[in-house]
Amino acid sequence: MTVNSLASNVRRCVTLLGLLILWEAGARVGWMDPFYLPPPSTVGRVMFTLAVSGELWPHLGATAVAAFAGLLVGLGLGIGLGFAAALSPILAELLEPVMILLNAIPRVILAPLFVIWLGIGLASKLALATVLVAVLIFFSVYNGIKEVDPRLVERIRTLGGGRRILIGEVYIPSVTAWVMGNFKVAVGFAFTGAVVGEFVASSRGLGYLLQFAQSTYNAALTIALVVIIMTFVLLLFAIAERLERHLLGWRYL
Amino acid sequence: MLKVSDLAVGYGGTPVIEGIDLDVATGDFTSLIGPSGSGKTSILRVVTKLLLPLRGAVELDVAVRDVGFLFQDDALLPWRTVRQNVALGLHIRDVPSDAADDQAEHWLTVLGLGGFGDRYPGQLSGGQRKRVAIAQVLALEPRLLLMDEPFASLDAIVRTRITQELLEWVEHKHLTVLLVTHDLEEAISASDVVYVLGQGPRATILARHQVDIPRPRDVLEARRHPAFGPLLGCLWQELSAESKPSSTTA
Repeated sequence: MTVNSLASNVRRCVTLLGLLILWEAGARVGWMDPFYLPPPSTVGRVMFTLAVSGELWPHLGATAVAAFAGLLVGLGLGIGLGFAAALSPILAELLEPVMILLNAIPRVILAPLFVIWLGIGLASKLALATVLVAVLIFFSVYNGIKEVDPRLVERIRTLGGGRRILIGEVYIPSVTAWVMGNFKVAVGFAFTGAVVGEFVASSRGLGYLLQFAQSTYNAALTIALVVIIMTFVLLLFAIAERLERHLLGWRYL
Repeated sequence: MLKVSDLAVGYGGTPVIEGIDLDVATGDFTSLIGPSGSGKTSILRVVTKLLLPLRGAVELDVAVRDVGFLFQDDALLPWRTVRQNVALGLHIRDVPSDAADDQAEHWLTVLGLGGFGDRYPGQLSGGQRKRVAIAQVLALEPRLLLMDEPFASLDAIVRTRITQELLEWVEHKHLTVLLVTHDLEEAISASDVVYVLGQGPRATILARHQVDIPRPRDVLEARRHPAFGPLLGCLWQELSAESKPSSTTA
């Protein structure tokens, strides 16, 4: 870490701490109604209780399973369809309009439909997370292949390489760069799908807890859950970034 | 080694070049000069089967796998190390990995890049990347080398140095070369034969000149040879006449 980035991180932490202190002080002197905006200490207490009582973990586990499964299936589907569309003009003709339509709409509106079709269990959350991720990854792969540097393709051809070599040496690495560029967004989308799916109809998960907190007007629990989800997603972002740096090490030299 | 007859190339509509006849003899260094956009590169692309001609024939005395193509851009895979890039063509030809890596290292050493094998192209200078591209092509030991203004992006000193090194290698191995360039001095100093391509569209070959400068050559010394100046003047006149604006108005 350079001196500049260390100083920048220190500034951010100090600002955040200052805001929390202001928030806490504001709530204690009565500037804010704790019913609507409970102080950080109350939110922290709720988080602590959730964790220590063990109530949090099954819900976090349910959301994580739905999100990870959706991420994996979405990646597989997006990569498969993206490759198929890029390499087959007929498939592209069929898939592109559907994907453009799915990309244009807020895909979370499909959540109620998935509940009707698949029930309130894991399947409907997985389906929503999958659709959110797959459309994003489809375009990453499709555009990644279409925008492969033609000079590299010609280079391989003049060296005597055929379709197999082209895919292995040019298309897959090129597409990996595109997919990894959107991987963090995909992680966020997978969690969005899982949480929104649980929010619409479920019997467990962080989305279910959020829905419960909202229906009981429990602002402290709502904020605590938002902070937990943010923390978890930020942790996954850090892992995704590590993976990106590992796979695309040549970009960071 | 390479004979091109009545070649016409177009990208829809009017041909860019037509009626092109070229004869590149075995062991000759041949240059093709012409204005930018006259279709010089298209001829090389047809020879390497990257482009289909509208008509005409290309006869090669060697298999396509014995033709090396040095592009204007170095076109190295950014996600592969320098060694892997040089070994790429060998891998494609099913040379075992260890042998391919050894050969790649040998060629990197020949081209003054020993010890750079583990770096990535993004970590090299323009001149070093160009040497890697040369190593990649020479590692396949081509019998015919096609070059499309390969050193155009380099500064004058690096360009002269790399041209000289390549020329020495070509002379040593008796390679046959077809170089496309718009640099008249480079063409004369390196070549045995210079073809002049006119202005497109429908560009044709305007002239063929024999370069009477003895080998082995030094690209800088060759410019002081008595035959150099008159030929440069002649090429200059031919190309100037081509690029003159038409006296008639629409």
